[in-house]
Amino acid sequence: MNIVVCIKQIIDPEVPMSQFKIDPRTKRQVQGNNPLVISPYDANALEVAVQLKEKHGAKVTAISVGGATTIAALKSALSIGADEAILVNEPLLAGSDQQGIAYALAKAIQKAGACDLILTGCESGDWADRAVPGFLAEELDIGYVGYVTRIEVRDGQVVVRRVVEDGYELIEAKTPLLAAISSDETNAARYAKLRDIMAAAKKMIPVWKAADLGLDLERIGAGAARVAITDVYIPVKESRCEMIDGNTPEEKAAKLAARLRELKLI
Amino acid sequence: MPGTLVLATTKDGRLTRDALELLAGARRLKEKLAEPVAAAILGAEVGSYVPLLFAHGADQVYRTEHPLLEGYQGDAYVIALHQICERAQPTVVLLPGDVMGRELGPRLAYRLQATFVAEFIDFDLDQASGRLQFTRQTYGGKAMAVVQPRMNPVVATAKLRTLEPATQEEGQTGEEIRVDVALEVSQLKTRLIEKVQEEATGINLGDAKIVVSGGRGVHGPEGFRVLEELAKVLRGAVGASRAATDAGWVPPSWQIGQTGRNVSPELYLAFGISGATQHVAGISGSKHIVAVNTDPEAPIFKVAQLGIVGDWKLIATKLIESCKELLRSS
Amino acid sequence: MKFGLTEEQRLFREMVRDFAAKEVAPLSKQVDEEGIFPQKTVKQMGDLGLMGVAIPTEYGGAGADNVCYAIAMEEIARACASTSVIMSVNNSLIADALYKFGTEAQKQRYLIPLASGKLLGCFALSEPGAGSDASAQQTLVARDGDVFVLNGTKNFITNALEADLALVFATVDRPLRAKGVCAFLVEKGTPGFTITKVEKKLGLKGTSCCQVLFEHCRVPADNLLGEVGQGFKIAMVTLDAGRIGIAAQAVGIAQAALDISLRYAKERVAFDKPIASFQAIQWMIADMAVQIEAARLLTYRAAWLKDKGLRHTKESAMAKLFASETASRAATKALQIHGGYGYLYDFPAQRLFRDARITEIYEGTSEIQRLVIAHQLLN
Repeated sequence: MNIVVCIKQIIDPEVPMSQFKIDPRTKRQVQGNNPLVISPYDANALEVAVQLKEKHGAKVTAISVGGATTIAALKSALSIGADEAILVNEPLLAGSDQQGIAYALAKAIQKAGACDLILTGCESGDWADRAVPGFLAEELDIGYVGYVTRIEVRDGQVVVRRVVEDGYELIEAKTPLLAAISSDETNAARYAKLRDIMAAAKKMIPVWKAADLGLDLERIGAGAARVAITDVYIPVKESRCEMIDGNTPEEKAAKLAARLRELKLI
Repeated sequence: MPGTLVLATTKDGRLTRDALELLAGARRLKEKLAEPVAAAILGAEVGSYVPLLFAHGADQVYRTEHPLLEGYQGDAYVIALHQICERAQPTVVLLPGDVMGRELGPRLAYRLQATFVAEFIDFDLDQASGRLQFTRQTYGGKAMAVVQPRMNPVVATAKLRTLEPATQEEGQTGEEIRVDVALEVSQLKTRLIEKVQEEATGINLGDAKIVVSGGRGVHGPEGFRVLEELAKVLRGAVGASRAATDAGWVPPSWQIGQTGRNVSPELYLAFGISGATQHVAGISGSKHIVAVNTDPEAPIFKVAQLGIVGDWKLIATKLIESCKELLRSS
Repeated sequence: MKFGLTEEQRLFREMVRDFAAKEVAPLSKQVDEEGIFPQKTVKQMGDLGLMGVAIPTEYGGAGADNVCYAIAMEEIARACASTSVIMSVNNSLIADALYKFGTEAQKQRYLIPLASGKLLGCFALSEPGAGSDASAQQTLVARDGDVFVLNGTKNFITNALEADLALVFATVDRPLRAKGVCAFLVEKGTPGFTITKVEKKLGLKGTSCCQVLFEHCRVPADNLLGEVGQGFKIAMVTLDAGRIGIAAQAVGIAQAALDISLRYAKERVAFDKPIASFQAIQWMIADMAVQIEAARLLTYRAAWLKDKGLRHTKESAMAKLFASETASRAATKALQIHGGYGYLYDFPAQRLFRDARITEIYEGTSEIQRLVIAHQLLN
């Protein structure tokens, strides 16, 4: 079984507001001293892939579209359990919208070889358009299920569990299938073992460019982007919280109930 | 006929609140673009919804019936919508920002070679260019982005519980267009085997007037039993932050936040929730937020209107008592 | 001369930092306040290879180098000093000793489980009458057929309560002093090996510090580590390497002190300004940062020398001396910067202050380190 996991390296989304700044020129977050990490749901996707590998002996390939810094994220993926990693580092991809990125990813996946499952995070920890998985499925013309938390393989059939508004669904799918992964208690990203980090550090990661993938340059880059991002700003919020006091928690709770009654909320 | 096309969804024999929010959005777009509003309704038998759609502002309804459209299946819906759009030639397609809409949006945009806009909370016409522009949250709710589609059509998902739902008006009518979709089982790449409901109090999170929610500070699944009791007393729904669902204390479908549900209740009670921006993004439509947390520095206090620093369990337990009393006496 | 970390060292640091922030730091307050041994964390660390960082993989370790060990120690200590000491004792004082001096049978039997975290070790050298003067061993050992019999008391033994295995030092003849000392691997549960007291300490509350009694404790001859009379050398070589771990731990505590000071200085407002805008605070922060950086570089250099198989006695002593005194200074300044809040248990400054202090004392006091350095320079 062959699994491809698409990962994106982003600025750590857990940084506090005080360290979150937007560059008005590029209209993107400033990295500053903030570390770069694998986008959280992509890490869950990697975990699902590695669990399937441990259970069914699958081969896992991690692919990322990025730059020089992305090598560290791919090495991290290798140390967590991916067998191979590929970087698509093509300057002409800069400014691409989600369709452009999905197109490049699709070409890379096709070049990497036949696969049964393609896993991505359900949304990225930064821009979060939630669009790349859908576009990727269309490019590859394969089945697609979003918000998948668990994947089972039974007798060559893939059954996924996906979260919906009022519960979850079990869906049977033909392969190849693209599943966009969301988190639950079974797919928390594992920490890499130190010895695996050592081994991964030694591995070579191929870097592919537009020419290697045969990319149609008309479909990538800022020129092909269908959406123009005209502004990104941090909204100023006014906050006014009425703190309820009391000598005991019970007193505070009683006062809260009274206040809610006053506001006609209960 | 150019215009706005809304994907209308139904539940238990009624139009969903999502559909009404989209229709309201479409009507606003009508004012800006001076183009009619159309609704697409998909299912096995959907005739009864047509007059409701007219009453809520649709000028046209694309009535699309096919046995394979009973219940959402990704391939079937995208094929059907594609065919509807080929007929309707909309300028803007509005989809709900729910699991279905988020899946469909990019797929439909691809097939229509349209611009895709994700999860907008507002839109307007840019004064300078005269083009439509959308505002959306990004960076986990920390920032706002303003985006302008460079080309039409536009397929956009609307963040739910942000727009005010459309109201019903008497005597409205419109044009019903029946669409025969060409759709076969062999085109469907996935199949639903089973659906499992996981609602706590039986009240839908998206519709509830009161939501009781728990986070990391609840420290385990047992704590949620207390919150469920409070929700029952208040006749509300129970939700959770991502910390609680990731830990497996409650099902993932209870998650409120950027990845999970958006809610806009009259009253949102947050117990042991720190207030990370991606959670706050899911509750921004709430009219009143009450926060209970042991940490006075917790970011949730910056968005709440009422706050208590204290042990969530003692407070929730006492609150159940106090509310029962108040409700008895009234 | 290259100052940068290698790629694997950087990836290492990222992983350990992430682990420390998510798994170790959240428990640090509770570990300190309630004196709990962080059992779950220690197991996780074992699984990840943190309990035998520089031990080769064929012996259960992570197969990394000593610079990686120093990095890992610093990151864990930054999150929780107690947890880091559990890690350093296992790594430096036991696993390292076994790796250097153990027979193949001993390595198979003990090193593999120790390095992979399945067994926990402790180092029993100190006695009521033998601290800095380690060669004044009073614990006696006598041969009885194919068994050694131990009699004596050890004190200040870190991890003794939770350890599965102890590296115990004893002498065949007291007047021989250093020349008579032998090292033994004693399994917990061996009859005659009892913990007589668990000390109450100022800091490092998550680890146990015990008085241990050996009464006719019979240890198989196969459990002698190295040769008879080689024990003192084993102890000294091991402590030499252990200094790198403690230096790294001290750097971690000092860094934590700087972290909380930076955060507090930006948030705390006095006279209508954040206190970070006052020169007095800025100078304190600058001084802390300079010393931490210097301590870190001294530590890495000692680790690097060890990796190269070069002598590092002087450099380890310098690193341990400077880093531990830096940790105390940094923690004191951090407490001062926090003002009244620094004195409250609710805030972390006081824990760092208490945890830092021992680094100037254990595994060779600062006074001993100075003697070692001077000896290296004068001879």
